[in-house]
Amino acid sequence: MSGQNTKNGAKFKNNVKISERHGSGEWLIERVALALLIPLGLWVLASAFSLAGSGYDALLTWFASPLNAGLLIVTVLALFTFVSLAWKVIVEDYVHKPFSKTLALGALNLVFLALAAVSVFFIVRLALGSAPLPAGIGA
Amino acid sequence: MSSSPLPGDASNEQSADRTGRFVRQPNGRIRPLSPHLQIWRWHVTMAASILFRVTIGAMSVASAIAVGWLAALAFGPESYAKVSACLGSPFGLFIAFGLTVVLFSFILNGARHLFNDTGRGLTLNSANLLSNVAVWAPIPLGVLFWVLLFATGRVSL
Repeated sequence: MSGQNTKNGAKFKNNVKISERHGSGEWLIERVALALLIPLGLWVLASAFSLAGSGYDALLTWFASPLNAGLLIVTVLALFTFVSLAWKVIVEDYVHKPFSKTLALGALNLVFLALAAVSVFFIVRLALGSAPLPAGIGA
Repeated sequence: MSSSPLPGDASNEQSADRTGRFVRQPNGRIRPLSPHLQIWRWHVTMAASILFRVTIGAMSVASAIAVGWLAALAFGPESYAKVSACLGSPFGLFIAFGLTVVLFSFILNGARHLFNDTGRGLTLNSANLLSNVAVWAPIPLGVLFWVLLFATGRVSL
């Protein structure tokens, strides 16, 4: 690659040391997720305002719209991506013992991954107008 | 114009003080207070930065509540009726009000953070202005949101 050379194992681009691991990538992903969340957050507030006080059937009609369901899935994925990376930064600032740090990061990632997966599952079911749970899984 | 005192006796220039940190020492001399962990004056930029971390924590809790709400909806009308009764109770409405303030705070503080990340808005005045908006505006916005909800009859006690 042009403009990229190696000194003492570290990579340099235009004489500026470039990230050795994936820190800069995570930094960028965190900003992109946050940039997505600002308009999506406003959309969530507007939707919450218009849906407040409406009943079960009105909510199912809202979820039946592919635009609403799609935007909500994007919101959920951006939110949990952002939140898990933000918690990673917070944990790395305050937890210094390697074992505790790995444990905390693993646990947080597991929780956020589970919440994201479960949310997408619920949103898809509501969007498709599936029978109320636990239909299809057990009962 | 910013004018931080120069080292040495020049730091006696009280007229140049914009920090409010000059103190009369026991020997009668006026000296700038040494910055130390317990002596730092609160700045709104610090408050905005710390509050963003707090907001991220609150957003994590809020997202867990939202997933619970989605679950109730997906489990059908009976379970949704229970959750909706909880949300409509005075305590539930109080929590819901808190969640809207958190979301406003997240949006405004996130926008401030992104703007500052691009290297803009970092002069003393604009950083203070952006931080003040991010710290204080969520409260009137949240109140306005709920006043409108009640005024339009979407929510009632």
